[in-house]
Amino acid sequence: MNPTAMVVGVVMLLIILALCWYVSPGMGLMALIGIVVGGVLIGFGTHFVPVGGAPAAMGQAPGIATGVAMLAAGAGLAGLFGGAWAAEQGLVVATITGGVGGGLMMAITCMMVNFVYVFGMGIPSASGKVAKDPITGDTQAEFKSQGTEGHGLPFVSFVGGVTGGFLGGAGGTLIYLQLLSLYEATLPAVMGVPPAQVMPIAVAAAGIFAVGLFLVNAVLTAYNITGTIEGPHDPKFKRWPRSIVASAVASALCGFFAILIVAI
Amino acid sequence: MSVKVEVIEGGVPHNTIMIAGLVGTLVCLYLTYLNVLTNTELFAFFGGLAVVTALIWGSHTIKVLCSYGIGTGVPSAGMIAFGSGVIAMLLATKFGIAAPIVALVLAAVIGFILGYISNNILNMKIPAMVQALTEMAVVGALTLMGFAALITGGFTFAGLTTGTISMLGMTVSSNQISFIGGGLIAVAFLLGAIAIQHPFNACLGPGWKQDRMLMLTAECGFLSMIVAAIMSFALISAGSAIVSLVIAIAGWAYTYNQYICLSKRDAYAWLDAKPIPEMEGH
Repeated sequence: MNPTAMVVGVVMLLIILALCWYVSPGMGLMALIGIVVGGVLIGFGTHFVPVGGAPAAMGQAPGIATGVAMLAAGAGLAGLFGGAWAAEQGLVVATITGGVGGGLMMAITCMMVNFVYVFGMGIPSASGKVAKDPITGDTQAEFKSQGTEGHGLPFVSFVGGVTGGFLGGAGGTLIYLQLLSLYEATLPAVMGVPPAQVMPIAVAAAGIFAVGLFLVNAVLTAYNITGTIEGPHDPKFKRWPRSIVASAVASALCGFFAILIVAI
Repeated sequence: MSVKVEVIEGGVPHNTIMIAGLVGTLVCLYLTYLNVLTNTELFAFFGGLAVVTALIWGSHTIKVLCSYGIGTGVPSAGMIAFGSGVIAMLLATKFGIAAPIVALVLAAVIGFILGYISNNILNMKIPAMVQALTEMAVVGALTLMGFAALITGGFTFAGLTTGTISMLGMTVSSNQISFIGGGLIAVAFLLGAIAIQHPFNACLGPGWKQDRMLMLTAECGFLSMIVAAIMSFALISAGSAIVSLVIAIAGWAYTYNQYICLSKRDAYAWLDAKPIPEMEGH
């Protein structure tokens, strides 16, 4: 960890919040705080997702056989669609719906991955990082093939995947809802058109900003993990504090630009 | 992590490509402004050429960045380029005629800070990181602006959010039929993001050749331009959209042929495989 850079990051975050308070106190600042919370949820949640990368595709490492950014985007966007569908039901219901959407997506993905591993490739699920599964207590070493780091998707990775999908989906939905309510309230005055006319613009702009912010946060977390992670029991999981700072700064910066559209 | 696995040998230096790409993209974007000056939509196709130019620059930047083992896969670089670019691009459209320049500056600011975050807070310590993320955010923003110009004929916020709809012989202004309101921006986003990350992902390895990768980028760019030109039928006059479509198809056919030639040049051996023959009586 680099303490100087962490301090610089926190200072940058405060500066951006202050700038936002200057151009749009009240609504804009509240929206930005919601966006930062959503971004942090995405960054933290991505650490739970079991990412295997290319070694997993060959059955030589545990996890889902693709990159961090792809998995996070898949889970988060599925959650975002779920949450956007429930946007009319209020903040809490919509955010949880988004989380459930993301978690469901990851649950289906993890289950189908294990189907392919077990019935298609004929390999059992075994973790290479821990001796016993932290949740079920099952021993792992007997099932692990020599020369591999483990393979398949052990139970703890499955749980981690669903947790990560839930947090990511909820974070993405939170960002979308904050921007949507801000745009619905301010765009009619900015564009000089009736509120009913402006709905498509508000929905599309909030949606594309939420997607952009989601991808930025997911890729930054991918850089933090550098490749593969097994889930919450992996030693790499302990890197999450610096990802929280990074996601907070990146979301604040991008969210501030998104708010400037209606503030200037 | 900062082990450089592959060095650039021969070919055009990256800085030349960067400057040529930046100037070419900005010039093409501003050429679409002829639409406003001449009061037509015929020059929308310059937006597509801006897309191709920016993508060529961007895919070479991805090559520079991903030559270091960043361990996250090449597609993630394309995703962060467009994720940060779309934010800068949408804000920049509020600045009217200055939009491309403002998009360049805003995207550079976002990219620079993201580069600082990755290199220092996340401890990546990759020498090319800050410059590469800055360049990629700019490429993402300018590519999206190119798509916007290609599909709507302009790049101002008002032009991107309003369209017209014909109803019972009357023309009514509508926000639904527009680049942003109709969600076309989401399609443009992924058309660009896939086109920027695919070439290096497909060509990387010991046999990497610069001209072959850049030709593949141009091919991917024109392929995206074909789709965007078809979408532009909804928002600009049919004649202008046909001009864009014809240019896109011609460019794609040329670059595809060239790419196949370059692939054959670099291959050890190749065989023109025929389709499976139909065996009668078996």
